[in-house]
Amino acid sequence: MEAYRQEIIVGAVVIYMLFCIATGLWAMRRTHDSSDFFIAGRGLGPIVVALALFSSTLSGFGFVGGPGLVYSIGVSSFWMVVISSIGYAIGFFLVAKRIRMIAELRDCLSLPDVVAARYGSEAVRFLMAVTIVLGVMGYLATQILAMAVVMQAILSGTETFADIGLVSCVVISSAVLIFYCVTGGIIASVYTDVVQGAIMIVAGSLILMTAMSVFEGGMQEATSIILADDSEAMMPFGAAGVMASLGWFFVFGLGLAGQPHLITKMMMNKKMTDNRNILPMSLFGYVMAALLWISIGIIMRAAVIDGVVDPLALPDDAASTFLSVFANPLLAGIVFAGLFAAIMSTSDAFLNIGTAAIIHDIPKAVRGHSVKNELFWARVVTVLLATVAAGFALYSHFADATLVALLGAFGWGTFAASIFPVVAVGLNWRGASVAGAVTAISAALLINFSVQLAGIVLPYGISGPLVAFITSMVLFIGVSLVTKKPVLAKDIDRVMQI
Amino acid sequence: MTRGIIYWIFAICSLMGIILLVIGLAETVPNAGGLPHPEFPGMVVGEDGAARLEHIGGLAFAFNALLLTLVVCLAILGVSERHRSPKFVVAMAVSLVIMLLIWWAMFSTHQEFLRTGETGYFMGFPIPTAWQMYGTWLGAIPLVAIYTLGFRHFIFTEADEAEFNALLKECQQEENQD
Repeated sequence: MEAYRQEIIVGAVVIYMLFCIATGLWAMRRTHDSSDFFIAGRGLGPIVVALALFSSTLSGFGFVGGPGLVYSIGVSSFWMVVISSIGYAIGFFLVAKRIRMIAELRDCLSLPDVVAARYGSEAVRFLMAVTIVLGVMGYLATQILAMAVVMQAILSGTETFADIGLVSCVVISSAVLIFYCVTGGIIASVYTDVVQGAIMIVAGSLILMTAMSVFEGGMQEATSIILADDSEAMMPFGAAGVMASLGWFFVFGLGLAGQPHLITKMMMNKKMTDNRNILPMSLFGYVMAALLWISIGIIMRAAVIDGVVDPLALPDDAASTFLSVFANPLLAGIVFAGLFAAIMSTSDAFLNIGTAAIIHDIPKAVRGHSVKNELFWARVVTVLLATVAAGFALYSHFADATLVALLGAFGWGTFAASIFPVVAVGLNWRGASVAGAVTAISAALLINFSVQLAGIVLPYGISGPLVAFITSMVLFIGVSLVTKKPVLAKDIDRVMQI
Repeated sequence: MTRGIIYWIFAICSLMGIILLVIGLAETVPNAGGLPHPEFPGMVVGEDGAARLEHIGGLAFAFNALLLTLVVCLAILGVSERHRSPKFVVAMAVSLVIMLLIWWAMFSTHQEFLRTGETGYFMGFPIPTAWQMYGTWLGAIPLVAIYTLGFRHFIFTEADEAEFNALLKECQQEENQD
């Protein structure tokens, strides 16, 4: 089997891509209008929503960047993972019920729709939609580039595709992505999420078992090796230090309830009462999948220090090196398919919310109504958005990475800082005002952009998104408290008391 | 007591902002955010942990204690005022105490390691890291349990469901009349 390792990996990835195409075609038959395209007609069952929710949380970053971070800075990056129980709990306490109620009451298709209904303000809708579009462009470009780079690495290991170029890989991966996004919309996305989730749970458990067998003394031997080399790397705050760690705890924990691609999924379940089951199921799935992140990173750092493996050229090579050195070819195939699944389903979710912002929310905010024939335009804009993002990805790779890096900064932290106060707090506090919401979003964008543009390095590893998040929370509540108490629409007022 | 929860949230966030400012102005150390590994490119080392916490250790402890308090306050905010019964508030307070105890155990065992250079192991990890890894993960399970098991008591009762359905009907009727 070892002799066919590359073929097995390529085979697993090809099977997954064919599955995506088939899912797109199947989902197309269930997509009749823009409500189906954007929020699956609010008809999904609890298992589907739970798997979609946790697998969207872990994009390709969970497979590649996560283990790479543990390899690089040790336990510091555990904080991004161990906050999951707090993050999911807060997300459900604050968002799940009310977003679902408002979505049904006002027939909302997107997060900006919900926000506009809550605040009765098109300005808040517009700001939220613009934030989403900017973030989506950055996320999408980096996801497409990651997918193409991994595909090139896999294919170049075979005889037939040894000389395949990055442009070809971008074209192939984008074509599959566009096909199933355009045909199946969010329905295709959530069902590929289900497969991704299942793969990740299985892969996480198998990878943990493989990792435990690398050293005779199991995980304890690996952690002892790291501890002996640099104790701080293996202690709770890792090599990056206490404030970097606690910053991640804050931004990734609370910030989960500010991620548009995640909280939009809280609008999709059929029954509100399913929420009580979705929360523990999502959390269980995430914990199982996160085993992959932690175990690969720890084993690779210990293996390099101990001389079992040569030092890596890049920290992000940790997962692929682990799979090629320690994992059974079949397991490697499953994990690589899972990696593609993670990247594609996250990309699809972003394409979906980005498209909704462009054809539904921005026109509504500016002209008072959405475009006619939303489903048709949704498909057209999905193609355009993916094509522009693929162009960005190639431009960033071959010419100048600044633009994509800048948009990439509109990642998790910016969404957390700008969306969490307005949505998570705003949906539960009737005193939240339009002025508070506009101030919070603007301040979060301004601080994140300024820190990124000016290349400001804060002391003790304090991150820009942490500063932006705390500032936007203080401004949101403070400005709302000092401005006139808002008068809510009657139905929204009643929903907020339930 | 929980009617003014938003003021508590505001006060906690403001305090956290002040702590962040004080940390930002505190005397810094060269390895505060880690240094490149002398042997392996791409790896970062933390080196002297005691030095890194010398000026900001207490502030960092307070920062995370406030963060955990904020988490519980936000969870309370997410529950309708009419369902914030004494039973619910007690359950939330117990959750907070558990999370704070875990944080204290993690921090103090780390401090002890920095003093003595010795540590035991629990399920593959040094004790302080095990508190972080397993403790933090499990510390929020009471919150998850309150949500899941208390769903029909605190989150979305049968009366809430009936009220929401009635509201939906009213809105649909109004729409039809229009």
